[in-house]
Amino acid sequence: MWKDLIDLLFQAYEQFSLLPLFIEIALAFIFIAILSTLVAYSAILYKRYRAYIYDKRMAYISPKIEDMITDQVLLNPNLGMDIPLENIEFDEQTLSDKMYRKPFVRQMLIDTLISYRKNFRGEVGDLLRKLYIDMGLEKDSFGKMKTLRWERKIKAVVELTQMDISISDVTILPLTNSSNPALRAAARNAYIQLSKNEPFKFFDIATEPLLPWDQLEMFKIITTTKDIAIPNFSRWVSYSTNKSIVSFCLKLIAHYDQQSAIPAVMDLLANKDHYFRADAINCLGKLSAEVAEDKLVKIYNNQPLNCQIEILQALGRIASGKHLEFLKSEFLYSSNFDIRMNAARSIIKHNTQNSRLMVEELMEVTDDENQLIIKHCLNPLIKY
Amino acid sequence: MASILVIEDDDIMLKAVRNILGKDGYTILTAKDGKEAFDKLENETYDVVVTDLMMPYANGLEVVSRLRSDETKRHIGIIVISSVGNEETITEAFRLGADDYLKKPIMAGELLIRIRKLLSNKNSSSQLVTRKK
Amino acid sequence: MRAIIEFFSKGVFWDNLGSYYQSAVFVYGTTLLVAYASLAIMSLISIRRYMKKNASVDYNVIVESPLAPGISVIAPAYNEGVTIISNVRSLLTFNYPKFEVIIINDGSTDDTLEKLINEFELVHVDYAFKEKLNCEPIKRIFKSTNRAYDKLIVIDKINGKSKADASNAGINISSYEYFLCTDVDCILEKDTLIKLIKPFMDEEMSKIKEIGTPCTECGYVHVKEDFRKVIATGATLRMVNSCDVDEGLMIRVRPPVKFLPRFQEMEYIRAFVLGKMGWDLINAVPNVSGGLGMFDKEVAVKAGGYDSKSFGEDMDLITRMCCLMKDNKRKYSVKYVPITLCWTEGPTTLKVFGRQRSRWGRGIAQIMSIHRKVIFNPRYGRLGLIVFPYNFLFELCAPVIEFTGILFYIYLILTGQINWPFAIILLTFVYTYSVMITTLALLWDQITFKYYKTWGETIGLCLMAFIEPFVYHPLIMFFAIKGYFNFVTGRKHVWGNMQRQGFGGQKRKSAVKAG
Repeated sequence: MWKDLIDLLFQAYEQFSLLPLFIEIALAFIFIAILSTLVAYSAILYKRYRAYIYDKRMAYISPKIEDMITDQVLLNPNLGMDIPLENIEFDEQTLSDKMYRKPFVRQMLIDTLISYRKNFRGEVGDLLRKLYIDMGLEKDSFGKMKTLRWERKIKAVVELTQMDISISDVTILPLTNSSNPALRAAARNAYIQLSKNEPFKFFDIATEPLLPWDQLEMFKIITTTKDIAIPNFSRWVSYSTNKSIVSFCLKLIAHYDQQSAIPAVMDLLANKDHYFRADAINCLGKLSAEVAEDKLVKIYNNQPLNCQIEILQALGRIASGKHLEFLKSEFLYSSNFDIRMNAARSIIKHNTQNSRLMVEELMEVTDDENQLIIKHCLNPLIKY
Repeated sequence: MASILVIEDDDIMLKAVRNILGKDGYTILTAKDGKEAFDKLENETYDVVVTDLMMPYANGLEVVSRLRSDETKRHIGIIVISSVGNEETITEAFRLGADDYLKKPIMAGELLIRIRKLLSNKNSSSQLVTRKK
Repeated sequence: MRAIIEFFSKGVFWDNLGSYYQSAVFVYGTTLLVAYASLAIMSLISIRRYMKKNASVDYNVIVESPLAPGISVIAPAYNEGVTIISNVRSLLTFNYPKFEVIIINDGSTDDTLEKLINEFELVHVDYAFKEKLNCEPIKRIFKSTNRAYDKLIVIDKINGKSKADASNAGINISSYEYFLCTDVDCILEKDTLIKLIKPFMDEEMSKIKEIGTPCTECGYVHVKEDFRKVIATGATLRMVNSCDVDEGLMIRVRPPVKFLPRFQEMEYIRAFVLGKMGWDLINAVPNVSGGLGMFDKEVAVKAGGYDSKSFGEDMDLITRMCCLMKDNKRKYSVKYVPITLCWTEGPTTLKVFGRQRSRWGRGIAQIMSIHRKVIFNPRYGRLGLIVFPYNFLFELCAPVIEFTGILFYIYLILTGQINWPFAIILLTFVYTYSVMITTLALLWDQITFKYYKTWGETIGLCLMAFIEPFVYHPLIMFFAIKGYFNFVTGRKHVWGNMQRQGFGGQKRKSAVKAG
């Protein structure tokens, strides 16, 4: 019987090999195409089946997890009683439920705790963290750090950062030099938040640029982590050779209103890169650096358009009133629309007796288009 | 006891706030988007509204503005809870008439204190309002 | 595909045809097959990469951040009175901290404007702006007196007979550095802005090289930045036809019930998931769809904005933006996101559908002729060597080649020169290959998100792949050719040249374009 089959196959092959080559290829591809279509169909069905099972488990487990967290944390009777956190105990029996031993449930538990932590800080936030530790979930997260897959490592780093669990420098530092940008960013953020001694060490050594998205994340971590010692960022403005770090520091200087940084920022006005200068001018404006005003007006004429606009805006922010005449002449005589617009806005922003008089005067002497600009800037309904 | 409407599109947060406030004995009603919120505001009256900013159908600022422009609902205390942290949005919320702005992550205790404060302020000022009328 | 039949069957009946043209068609068919296979592989890699990279990203960071860049949402409206209120409302509820919504009432003849004024308490404001891009005159600009709607700007302008003209007006008014172009009747996901701005903020400034010692003038070590600027991003579109939508909010996604839009849904998934995502991997995205796309305003304005005379204004803009970057020797990329963020109404009648497709056909013919300096021009890098040749050969020429191929086939049958068994085998080959590619696209689509709730809906959509080559595909081909015809009769002088280059030599149908 086997022999028959082999014979049959052999005959079929002989028939096949007699066909022209292109027909052979075509037949082979028909076979491959049908096969892959079938595989694709099974994959679609399998994926849907998996998703279905996942949803079902979620629907069963997630209310239980939420109830548990509600009972143990949100409605914990010891909350708001000024009881030290260490003395608040969770219900042993609930925590040791068999359900919480399954990896799937534990992962869900971590995810749920994190989403609660995103909504609550203070005592509730700390209690959520205690629950995470008491249930041994940090071990799960650390376990993930040991895998070779970078996306798992990122997940672990993010979980630990969210839960404010310190990671030893030995573990985290190598990751900050990872060749994978996403992992590198996550590790950097973790280091800043969790390293107690020198969180801003990176600014000294980083040669890789900080992407705008990384800056968002880092900004959030720097501004929301409590007990972080905010250094004087002018240090990096003066000494760092990494442009993205310098421009990030400018944003931080503005945010923390570090007046002592003004001289360092003013040094940047001589920089060759005009995007960079624009950032520096912007920062000076936000610091309301009156000392810089004269310098800004002095360099104004040699600047490209983007810096000129920044200077006009900065004068509006500083609003010392010393350069109103300068703004007025820019408004009246510049041929560039954006310059006139920003000059007008900065005059109005002064909001002093003098500036109001000036606006009235300008309304009378100037042409229709300029009048429209003033009306535009005066209208409280229009933001920009 | 005072009644509070909580408007929030994040399920977890909605339940959590309901539980926390419920524990203090307030009567809590919830809405999970702008449309539901407007419906509930139409039909009932509340002492305090706690609202999120970014939600489907209508944003929280609209809720604030609608409450403040309605003569019969002007007295309702409004607390905005949002993760939006830029200055513009926060000032906008206050300008429209929000009483408080809490940025997520919030402290549960703080929320409770602010609500208590709002309620007690209102009680003391309600006499004033009636006298004016 | 049938090219192969042709090529190899020549031994039997090639007497009256030149072998030169046979080989050309064979090469064409094989290239197309290889192209589709590689697109399938590339798109899988690129989708998986996107998913992995963004799995742990906390998108909320940007909502909280004061550093979030501003985005202007630009949505032209023409006679949308019925749905305008709920659609504008839904645009105002984006999950994003810093944006404005600019609605352009493009000379509607119905009550669109009145409805907007009443609902959002709008008043006419004196608005000063510089007309950076050409558009029909703007009559009035409105803002809301209610601060809750302070993100809204409504422009009333004279009808410019095109979406391009209206969008240009919106760009003129916009004040942020990025803009999102969409249609007012599209249903957008509320995370649209976050998901589309993310690639801009992941600009790959991968390498920084330091050059020499610190400069004496500025004290810095000068660096050379290998900086790839993202100039535009787009996301997948789907059909809204049978979905449950409530006041501009997507409640439940369903594939369209009617056949015509259902074919379109399948085609869109294939074009976006397989096509755009595949090209994304090698940074050769040809187009950001007009239904939803985010652009860097500076580059778009410098490139001249939308061309109101264009029939494919979206691709035209992207092409000009890419050319501009290349002309300035700057690196750029156009990114695609494999998630559906926008649902649009697909035409349900053959008449409207035909008009749309003819327009697209005319559009691509127009773009190819306007930008003909780009094609095969190594100075334009990938744009000149990959994007344009591909679009020229497999988008523009395919319908023509197919059509002439069918004619030739009929001729062969009538003159009895056909080798039926071989022809059937080869046709089966083309057919199964096309079904396979479409099914793979639908499978890749399942990787990102489970859009359809039930098995029936998913499989129902998949099964369309089996009838598509017989029903839908000939329709697309026909309407595309009609579009080309309009183009030829509309602008003769440009066309003559093209005809000689592209169409003279190849008369044979070669491949199922979409498969």
